[in-house]
Parts: sequence; C-alpha cells; structure tokens
Amino acid sequence: MPLTMLTRGQEGTVKKITGKDEVRAFLKSLGFVEGGTVSVVNEVGGNLIVKVKDTRIALSKGMAGRILV
Amino acid sequence: MSIRLALAGNPNSGKTTLFNALTGSNQRVGNWPGVTVEKKEGKLKSDKEITLTDLPGIYSLSPYTLEEVVAREYLVGERPDGIINIVDATNIERNLYLTTQLMEMGIPVVVALNMMDLVRKNGDAIDASKLSRALGIPVVEISALKGEGLDQLLAAAKTAARGTAPGTRAYSAPVEQALDTIRSALGSAFPQGMERWYAIKVFERDEQVMGKLTLSDDVKGRVEQAISDCEQALDDDAESIITNERYEYITKALASCVKKKRTGLSRSDKIDRIVTNRVLALPIFVVVMALVYSIAMGSWTISIGTRLTDWANDGLFGDGWFVPFTADTDAWDEASGAFEEADTIIQAYEAGETEAYLYDDESGDTTVIAVDEAVYEQALTVPEPDPHEYGVWVPGIPVLVENGLTAIGCNDMVSSLILDGIVGGVGAVLGFVPQMLVLFLLLAILEDIGYMSRIAFIMDRIFRRFGLSGKSFIPMLVATGCGVPGIMASRTIEQDRDRKMTIMTTGFIPCGAKMPIIALFAGALFGHSPLVATSAYFIGVAAVIISGIILKKFKAFAGEPAPFVMELPAYHAPSVGNVLRSMWERGWSFIKRAGTIILVSTIVLWFLQGFGFENGAFGMVEDNNHSILANVGNAIAWIFAPLGFGNWQATVATITGLIAKEEVVSTMSVCYPGNLTANIALAFTGIGAYAFMIFNLLCAPCFAAMGAIKREMNNAKWTWAAIGYMCGFAYVISLIVYQIGGLITGEVSFNLFTVVAVVLVIGLVYLLVRKGYRGEADNLRAVDAVRA
Repeated sequence: MPLTMLTRGQEGTVKKITGKDEVRAFLKSLGFVEGGTVSVVNEVGGNLIVKVKDTRIALSKGMAGRILV
Repeated sequence: MSIRLALAGNPNSGKTTLFNALTGSNQRVGNWPGVTVEKKEGKLKSDKEITLTDLPGIYSLSPYTLEEVVAREYLVGERPDGIINIVDATNIERNLYLTTQLMEMGIPVVVALNMMDLVRKNGDAIDASKLSRALGIPVVEISALKGEGLDQLLAAAKTAARGTAPGTRAYSAPVEQALDTIRSALGSAFPQGMERWYAIKVFERDEQVMGKLTLSDDVKGRVEQAISDCEQALDDDAESIITNERYEYITKALASCVKKKRTGLSRSDKIDRIVTNRVLALPIFVVVMALVYSIAMGSWTISIGTRLTDWANDGLFGDGWFVPFTADTDAWDEASGAFEEADTIIQAYEAGETEAYLYDDESGDTTVIAVDEAVYEQALTVPEPDPHEYGVWVPGIPVLVENGLTAIGCNDMVSSLILDGIVGGVGAVLGFVPQMLVLFLLLAILEDIGYMSRIAFIMDRIFRRFGLSGKSFIPMLVATGCGVPGIMASRTIEQDRDRKMTIMTTGFIPCGAKMPIIALFAGALFGHSPLVATSAYFIGVAAVIISGIILKKFKAFAGEPAPFVMELPAYHAPSVGNVLRSMWERGWSFIKRAGTIILVSTIVLWFLQGFGFENGAFGMVEDNNHSILANVGNAIAWIFAPLGFGNWQATVATITGLIAKEEVVSTMSVCYPGNLTANIALAFTGIGAYAFMIFNLLCAPCFAAMGAIKREMNNAKWTWAAIGYMCGFAYVISLIVYQIGGLITGEVSFNLFTVVAVVLVIGLVYLLVRKGYRGEADNLRAVDAVRA
C-alpha cells in the first residue's frame, strides 16, 4: 500500500518506489530505499513528514503515494 | 604547489559553516536545505596555496535539481585535486550515499565527520577510525560550528590531494561484468581517471552522460545488451541495482562502527508535531510572522526596528538626538513643539496667510490655526529651546555637515549639493538600515533554528491550490529581505514552469528596499498605522496568488506543480555567529548600494531637479517646478495620472525606483526639500498615496533584480515577459485601487477611468475563473530547460 495509508506514529518497510526514473532516483538518494524503514512523524492533509535513515523528510501527498510500503 | 579542494556534501550538513571556518569568508548559512545555490570559492586562511570551492548541497550525483547540476558539472569538468566530503554524523547512512558516488569519481576524497557532538549527546557512537578502514578513505571528526578538528582535516586533505584516488569498490558480479563490457565497448571515449564513473553512469542510463557520448549503433547495442542482461540476472532496473548495492555497502560498512541507541521521538519530532499540526500550523505561522514584522516595523513599545529607524531618521540624519537616559525628553518635546508651532505661525503671518498648518507626524494629523496679529505677536515671544539644556545632545549629521560647510565658507551651490543632494538622499536611505537589520536578524533566527523549512511544508498545501509548490515560498521569504537572492533561491525548484512562475512572482513580495516607501507613506499619511505595512505584505502575497491562478491557465504554465519533497533539518538553538553573519550580509549589501548606485543617482537627481531654465536663462532654479527633472517628469506624468499620482515628483520617483527601490524615498527627499513627511502629506491624497505605494511595490523591481531574472530565466523573451508582466500587473491593480477605492472614499469622482477600472476588474475576474489550458502539460524539468 502507498505510504499515505500509514497514520501518525506508524512504521513501515519500503517495498517499492514507483514513478519516473529521475523522481525515483531522487527519492532513493534521500534515503527511501527498498527494505529500509520509514515512520510517519506527522500527517497534514495527506502531506507527510516521515523519518527515514535518521532524517526527516517532508513529502506532498503525490510524492508519498509513490512510495509503497 | 597550489591545491584545489572541493567541499561537497548533503544539503544542510554544515558545508557553508565549514567553508566559512576554513576561509574566514562570510557566506550565508541557514538551517534549511539549499542555501548555497551557486558554488563559491575562497582561499584558506591558514594556507593561501589552497583554494576551496563550496559546492551547493547535493544528495547524489544523478542530477535532480539545478544545484546538483552545478555541483556535478564542477566535479566532472574542473576535476579538483581533492574532495572534502562533509558528512552529517547524525544521519550518516544517508550522507554516505553521496560519499559512495564521490569515491567513484577518481578524485581523492576525505570525509569530514561533522556534528559528532550531537551523536554523542544522543548517546550514540561512531568509530571514525573503523569507518575510515571500512571505506578505505581518511575520516576526520570535526565540529564545523566550534571550529574543532579543522587542522587535522586540512592535513588529511592535503596529503590525500597529493595521493591517489580511492580504490574501486566492487559491485556484485553481474554488475561488474556489465561495467567491464561497457568499458571495453566504449574504449577511449572516457577522460582518464574517470572511466569507472562514466561506465557506472552509462550503466545507470544517465541521460546527461549518454547525451555527451557519441556512440555508434553497434556500440550502443552492445552496451544496452550488457545492461539488460544484468537487469535480467538481478531482476531489477539498472539504476535501482546500483542504488540498492550502494546502500547495502553502506549498511555493511557501518555495521561494525556505529552503535545506536533505539530512541523514540526526538525533540525535533515533538516540535514538528505541534508546529506542523493540522490545526495549529497556520495560526502559529501567522503569529510568528506578525511578531517578526511588529518588532521590526510596527509601532509598539517592543518595536525595536521602528524605534531605531526613527532615531536614525530624525536624530542621526535629522536635527540631532539625546544620549538615552540623560535627557528630559518630554520637556524637550513640549518646548520644541511649542517653538515649531510658533515658527509655523510666524512664517504663515509673514507670508500674508490667515491660516497656518501644523503637521503632526506622530498622528499624521494637520492642525489648522487661525493667524492674526495677536497670535503672531504671541508667537514671536516663544523662545527657541536649546537642546543642551535638556540633556546630552548630539547634533545630527546634516547639522554637523552644515556647520562644517559654513565654517569653511563653502560655496552655496556646493553646500546645496552636499546637504540636499548627498546627505539628504543617502541619509534618507541609510535611516532605514536599523529597521532592516532588525527584520533580517529575526528572519535569520527563524532560518537558523530550522523553522523556515517547516514553513515551506506548511505552505505547500496552500500554495498548491493556486499552482505553486511550497518550495516557491522560500524564494518569497528570502525576498522579504532582498529580491535578488530570492530569485536565485528559485533554483531549488525542480520543475521549469514552477520555477519560471516563482521568478515572475517573487518580485511582488515587499523587499527590504521597499520598506522605506511603506514607512514613509505610513508615517506621512496614515499616522504610522501598522495596517499599512501589513497590507503591503498582504497585497504582495495576494499578487502572488492572483498571478499564480491567472498564469496557471496559460499553456506555458499549465499542469500540476512538481510534488513536494524536502528534508527538514533538526531544530537547534540559533548560533549567534550564523545569525549575525546572515543579518549583516543582507544589511551590508543594502548599505553598499546606498554608497554606490544611490550616491551617484542622488547627485544626478540633485542636478536635474536643481537646475533648469528660469526667466529665460539656464541655471540653478528658485522653484524646482521649473527644473529639468520637473519638465521630464511632467512630460510623462500623464501615464500615472489615472493612478492618482500624476505629478512630476512621483513620476520621477517611480522611474528612479526602477534603478533601485531605495531611490523612491531618496528621490522624494530631493524633490521635496525640507520636511519630507509634511510635504508628502500635502502633495498626496490618502488613496493616491496608497495607489502610488502599490504601484511601486508591485512593478518591476530594481536593476539588480532584473539582472537576476535575466540570469535565472536565461532567455530574453522570458525576461521581458516577467518584467512586463510585473509592471502591467502593478499598473492595473494600482489603477483599480485608486479609481474604485477613491470613488468609495469620495476622494475621486466618477470619470472615464472609473469605467476603465471596472472593465479591468471584470477582465481580472475572467482571467481568474476561466477554464484554463487542459491539454497535455509540458513537464519540462528545470535541469533540462537550462541545458536546452
């Protein structure tokens, strides 16, 4: 399921990242890598603040939807 | 031997802080990703032989944003002797992802492990020497902020730069096999030392690298075959294979040298839960910004900015000022007020008037006093108070200069040039420096503690509704200081059309140089009402929103803004050094301009407004309505007549405002010699002044910003479109406000332009609500647009 389905405080493992090559590559360089853990720090109207590899990343709903957990 | 070192690392890893510590240079540092948008060079403090280049922060060398392109092109094209890779130890795993890429460039790399103090504070541990062995490159612990470990870092970097590049790290067998095939297939197409990096990029199908290589179909076929064989073998696409193997390598390397305590929510997470809370986020943001602008520009007791600027304008660049706590200022105000009133009466009576007008610049009210002989006689008895009797009085600069000029018996014309031209014009601008420094200081604090990037996140949801992303908000916030860095900050925006739109609209935000205009009119006509400054920001933001909606409907801008992704740095207490540096850097560029472009143009303006043809002869004019400037202004003033400021002074001020916005106030002070606020209050009606303010806030910014637009657009057509759009928009809004607003307040009667205003309103509404372009949107990335 997409990352947007996780609620505040929940944790998941990245299964797959979809979308165009350059977006995928960018998300991976930010630390979203298959098998890695992501947890949701906060959720505001679908936009997320997540924790991945010890950094906080803010994602809009559209971007978060490309990360499947 | 000179050595060239490059400083590379993730955004917000402390690169610029390290750069400043090493070179003693004063680059801006902020706690948000993307502060450094251009590379900067500096010579080392300790060793002038070493040149250090600060690259913008990047997450990888597969360019996604323009900053990544800048960094990558430098490393590939310039080939520095060594790379200092600054790594944020608090998120070492992600940071090392870039390290694995840098290590493949065939350039010696030294890792500077920053923020180790924070790691220790969290109870975690990283063994630097073990890490160094695992990676096969030197790793030096440093604290960029405290300046610790810098000598060791430089020593390591110097040794490394003279040595060889790190050895190659092996990928899995299928990948290595494919890389070998690519290398032999491409032969000598690669520059020496970079064969492996290019081979990996080709394997990843990096468009930029592929575009540069001219390959025969046969070679292309063999390369493609090798890649797809590998993809088949590993059941993934090439790029993912490389990325995953890099992360696997990092995890393995870190396993033995990192000890981490599992912790729950960090302090930053807890703050974020409140600050970005669904309900509280916006109110918190509004309160924070209101506080910032009230302290800098409001009229409260705590409005330090206003107080300091009042002192600078009325004291330092006015008659003079009392040393604080030495004077009975109330008694002085009363005595000087009484004298001023008497003086006004005397002047009015001697000019044969029956009424005198007393302007109170505190309240903005003008009192009318009936003047007859008795009042006149009475006024003559009021003594001129001597400030020295009331406390320690320091005369203002104009007074000192005037005394000096009189003492040396200076020629009248020269003394007018110095006093009215230079001191008046430049002083009018410099008087606003304290206020601006306070504003910059507060923004620098918000930036340094990490709140700014949260604002981008909060605003994304709102900005998205009218076609901009939250990332557009950062350029706009920077633009409240100065539009030039604001326009440059648009480089963090990935999508070309979002970036163009941001560049076109960033200029609407009232920058520091527009503040004096707001302050002048708020003081002269609106009794220092804080509503005026607030409304200026509101109008700026509204102009951005309206433009966003309107522009989005055109084909060139159609389509969803790029999705928002941004790293949120950890909150930390503001560093005094960083905050002051950032404040000073912005403030200094303002002061510098006062000393250069504004100085020159005030001299030119002084001449143009002081000379002309009077009584058939050319010379200094008695009445500046006969000056050259007045003639030029009068000739084109009709353009602005429908906006309510069709007098030559306002026209000229608007035009000089295109050179630099600070010019508006200094031009006014040259065109209205004497009491500026009082003269402005007489020359403008309320609504006319407001329309003037709006036009000057919204029309094309200064030369410097136009230059920045040209650089960023990199295209003459788009540059002119942006400038034309801003001026046109300013004219339309200003006209509507003057005509319709004036009709409501009764200051303007119904005329032809009222009809024009109504038509324009209907046109605007149509542009806002019409169905936009719905065809295939052109999803051009900024990176590609610049290359094209």
